[in-house]
Order: sequence, then C-alpha cells, then structure tokens
Amino acid sequence: MMEPGGFLSFDLLRRRVMGILSPAAAADPGFWNSRLLPISVGVLGTTLGIAPLHCACLDRHGAGLLVAGNSGAGKSTLTAALAERGFAVVSDDWTYASRLNGTLVAHGLFAPVKLLPDAIRFFPELRDSTPSKTLNGEIAHEIDPSRLLRSQWKASSVPKWLFFLERASMPGCRFLPCPPSHTQQFFELNAEKLPAELPEAARTRSAIIQRLSSCKSWILRTGDDPIRTAAAIDAFLLEV
Amino acid sequence: MLSSWRCDVSALDFVRYEDPLDILLRFTPTPLRARFRIPAATLFVETNDFSLLPALPLETSSRRIPPASLNWKLVRDPDARGLLQNPVMQLTPQLTVVAMGVACLLAVDHERRELLCFLGPDVDPHTFQEFLVPLLCRLSTQSLENPPSESAPGLNEDRADA
Repeated sequence: MMEPGGFLSFDLLRRRVMGILSPAAAADPGFWNSRLLPISVGVLGTTLGIAPLHCACLDRHGAGLLVAGNSGAGKSTLTAALAERGFAVVSDDWTYASRLNGTLVAHGLFAPVKLLPDAIRFFPELRDSTPSKTLNGEIAHEIDPSRLLRSQWKASSVPKWLFFLERASMPGCRFLPCPPSHTQQFFELNAEKLPAELPEAARTRSAIIQRLSSCKSWILRTGDDPIRTAAAIDAFLLEV
Repeated sequence: MLSSWRCDVSALDFVRYEDPLDILLRFTPTPLRARFRIPAATLFVETNDFSLLPALPLETSSRRIPPASLNWKLVRDPDARGLLQNPVMQLTPQLTVVAMGVACLLAVDHERRELLCFLGPDVDPHTFQEFLVPLLCRLSTQSLENPPSESAPGLNEDRADA
C-alpha cells in the first residue's frame, strides 16, 4: 500500500495519526479515498465515537439500507446491482456509524466498490475495467458507481432497514424477520478487538450497535443472482 | 546498508497468531516474560519468540523494582517479510516511532514507559541481538532520561485537535 519509506502510525490514546508519504501519494485522491482514509477511520474511528461496521450501505430517498453478511456472501455484487436500480451508494464494504443529535447516521468514504472478476457476468460494463490487487490482497475491479453504474454517491444516510445476506441453494429470495439480538450479536462479534485502555470507545461502539439493532432487520436467503435479488429487495421495500 | 547485516535465518520457534478481529496484532499473546537490567533501568520484556529475549543481564534481585523501569513488548510477526531498511523516524514529545521497512516497526511511548516492536521473520537473532537490542536500549535510556515535559501536550490534553 505504502511506497518504500512511507508509513503511518496511529496513536489511539491521543487520537493522532502521523504519516510519512511521498508527494505523489499525498497528491493522489485515489490513495486517500481507497487507502488512507478507510484505514485511518477504521483504526482510529472508535476513539472518535465512530463505529466501523462490516456492511454495505445504500440510500433511497434519505432512507438507509444496510447489507451485512459474512465474507463471500455477495454483499458487493448485490450493492452494485442495487446501485443499478437507482439506490445511491454510501459504502460497499465498511460503513462508519455515529450518533448525530441522537440520530444514528451511517457514513461512507467514497471508497470504490470492489467486484470480483466473475462479476462481469452481471455487469458487462466491467469489460473496460482492469482488475487490480486490493487492500486485502484480493484481485478485484475497483469501480466508481457514479461512473460505471447508473448510480451516484451519497456521503451518509440514516439506516432504516438491515438485511443479513445468506446464500441458499434453492432459487428464490426469502426474507426472514430477525430480532434485535441477532443484529447486536452479529456486529459485536465482527467488531475489531479494542484495548482495555479504551473503555469509553468500547462503550460508545456498543451503544451505536445497540441503536442499530432497532432498525427493521431481515435475514435474506437468496439462491438467485444479484440482479434478481436486487429486484426482490426493491419490491420487498415497497411493501414494508 | 542495514540489510547487509543479515545472517542466515535460523529456525524460529514463534507460533503463528491469526485473529481476524485483531488485524493490527494488538492482542498477540506474548507469554515469554523476563526482567533484565540495563544501567538506567529495569526492563520488563515480554515476547512471543524465544529468540527475541535480549542478551542482557537478568534482573534477579529480590529488592523492590526501582521506579525507573520500562516495558518492552516484542512481537514476531510472521507476515512482515523482508530485510531491515534504513530507518525512518517520527517524533512527538510523547512518542518515538521508528520504521525500518516492513520488517521492523517500533515505537516508544515516553509517557507510558512502553516500547512496542514488531519484527518480521527475516530479522535473524544475530541482527536482533547485535543491532536492534542496542538501539532499543538506547531509545529506552533516552526515554527515561528525557521524559516528556509536563507542559507538553499528552494524554490529558484537550482532545479537540483530534
């Protein structure tokens, strides 16, 4: 990620980041958007009252839709499919939640949406894109949904709905209501460990997760491709 | 070049630690612990690798630990592949951070009297003992002799600048 000789250090107790970057990296918006800011907010966010959540976030008319699930469940391709249906993209992989005047707000960092090479089956637009090595070592297309998909970015949204995406072997989409305890457990178990020296950060994060668990939540079991699944979500949200 | 100091890598007996919720290896178990003595202080060393116990005199006396003491946490990180590079430093009144490429990242928190060091598998015991241990001792001594001034911004400062 960093050029030789460059490095960042994070001082969580004093809430500071120090970095040594080359002029080229410092002037590169792509480096800031897809590397530096996500890492900095991910590492330091909890000390600033921001809870990094492993989920995607989309927005429709000011209402936020979070898509969570284990790695490999298909969050990113579903995010891209929903983006093509007109949802604005807040975030793809990591969403940063905070409380603003008592309201839970989900933020994104305009980090590119990552699609694995086989996603070209569903998004022919990818044929002009070249996959590259991403932050976690995967080879993937890193796309700007406002350029490649029929979508736009949105900086933040107020979460209203939450789907836990699960793959199913049978075709079709099933929406199973899930209790707040499921949401709380999922995000607590997927949260990065915090040192004992940061008790306030741990409390704040738990409070945010607890607040998040009051969103309407469903387990979405799908055996359909992402395009059909996105259409099913679209139709489902019109009814709830 | 620092990298020319490298010797053949001997078998290292550290245990790989993987926890997806501890990406930064902040909770890597360091069960090997010992007390050492340097002229300025007593060092409490903990590590996950026998070869990272420094070749320093052991502190064996049963007398009370003098107030000048420092904690070292030395973590062998099997994924930090590469040889030592020329050092790059970051300094604040509270922290000294030194990076020598991916293979070695160390930081001294002068307020908390802690030294944390991550070392890759290609940093062999000879390089560690002959080059890094003297450096760590020097940083520790400097930290104890020049503690952060009370007027310097520190842990209790107004955090509005975060």
